[in-house]
Amino acid sequence: MSEWVVEVRNLNKYFGRHHVLKDITLRVRFGEVVSIIGASGSGKSTLLRCLNGLEPIQSGEIFIDGVCITANGVNLSKVRQSIGMIFQSFNLFPHMTALENVTLAPRKVKRMPRAEAERIALELLRKVGLEEKAHAYPAQLSGGQKQRVAIARSLAMNPKVMMFDEPTSALDPETVKDVLDVMKELAREGMTMIVVTHEMGFAREVSDRVVHLDDGRIVEEGPPEEIFYRPKHPRTREFLSKVINI
Amino acid sequence: MESWGSNVHFDFSALYKALPSLLVGATVTLRITSLSIALGLGIGIVAGLARVWPNTILRTVAGAYIELVRGTPLLVQIFLVYFGLPALGLNLDPFVAGVIAMGINSGAYVGEIVRGGIESIARGQMEAALSLGMTWHQAMYYVILPQAFVRILPPLGNEFIALLKDSSLVSTIAIAELTRTGQIIITRTFKSFEIWSGVALFYFAMTYLISRIVRFSEERLRYSE
Repeated sequence: MSEWVVEVRNLNKYFGRHHVLKDITLRVRFGEVVSIIGASGSGKSTLLRCLNGLEPIQSGEIFIDGVCITANGVNLSKVRQSIGMIFQSFNLFPHMTALENVTLAPRKVKRMPRAEAERIALELLRKVGLEEKAHAYPAQLSGGQKQRVAIARSLAMNPKVMMFDEPTSALDPETVKDVLDVMKELAREGMTMIVVTHEMGFAREVSDRVVHLDDGRIVEEGPPEEIFYRPKHPRTREFLSKVINI
Repeated sequence: MESWGSNVHFDFSALYKALPSLLVGATVTLRITSLSIALGLGIGIVAGLARVWPNTILRTVAGAYIELVRGTPLLVQIFLVYFGLPALGLNLDPFVAGVIAMGINSGAYVGEIVRGGIESIARGQMEAALSLGMTWHQAMYYVILPQAFVRILPPLGNEFIALLKDSSLVSTIAIAELTRTGQIIITRTFKSFEIWSGVALFYFAMTYLISRIVRFSEERLRYSE
């Protein structure tokens, strides 16, 4: 088993002629929490989507727990089972209850018996504080509740790494905290996490490492104390001065 | 005999006498339409799925079928199946020819409805399903299609109603459905207005029935999004 859950080597990604990710090299250790910060359009979300194969890349290699997912003929579905993905817009399945959302993949992908899948799902819903909403449909939930169900849904596949794509950007301010609390709890339990976020407080408090992406390039990375208090790169200083009001 | 005005005379007793025959014609219309709907649904679901399938050949074949059928008149398609196929040694009973022509025709429209329904489901749904480790087929089956189905119902109801009305075209290949029955009665009674009014009412009763059934299933299946 490799020491790295995620290993990216010289990744380049284009949308048409637009070079969105430039020679990205990034490694994430087991149990590490990495926040990716940067301005809108810097390529943060695209990077995350490349990591679970939702976006094709033009050159470079991506390894998830030692498996090269950019090789020909790789079973992406199999690899994705070990990567949890949380979207800005939740993407809960609207025709299913919270419980059904959480049990679907374990039952259909892992062929888990319904009773066992439901037992695990209820445990996870309790963990995110929504056990009593198990039989509610997504339309009956607030944004923050939806996002917590989405987190439970991903956790049900017992992933090795959880990726969050701006998980709180679409939320009402009063529901952001509940979601961040769940994420902090996950981090405390040792979950490997890659978080694309605009929540600088969260990035500073919870991450082991912060990566600043600027115009498709990693311009600076390091422990949060260094990035936030002693940024070296002028682009990082400029970005932080715009988003942090201390 | 009733009289409205001085020189307009209507004789609705002719319609009354014609009711049993019209009823028989209406059941033929209903039979041919429901069989065509079943065939069209089968073809259309396959064609619609093929239109979004990741396989290029399937997509192209389904696209060509849909374009060809939608670009030619149903009447010509009916003639082609009934009068044209015997040239290839395939002699079909008029009823069977009618069902085949209408089924193939409806399949193209249903195919477009199915494709539209699938494509109307937000891309994030497929991405979320794939991210959980589902295959494309599993995602389609468990996540996309159940949602698409709810959106497909109303346009599908319109297609069924259109098909029922278009079934009057098979009167041209000697199937004694509702329109043909009306024509035959008029050649005997010369009561055009009365009989055609009756025929129209019969059609309306049937299309209204379909629209109620579709509305009912919509309400049963709806979930809020």
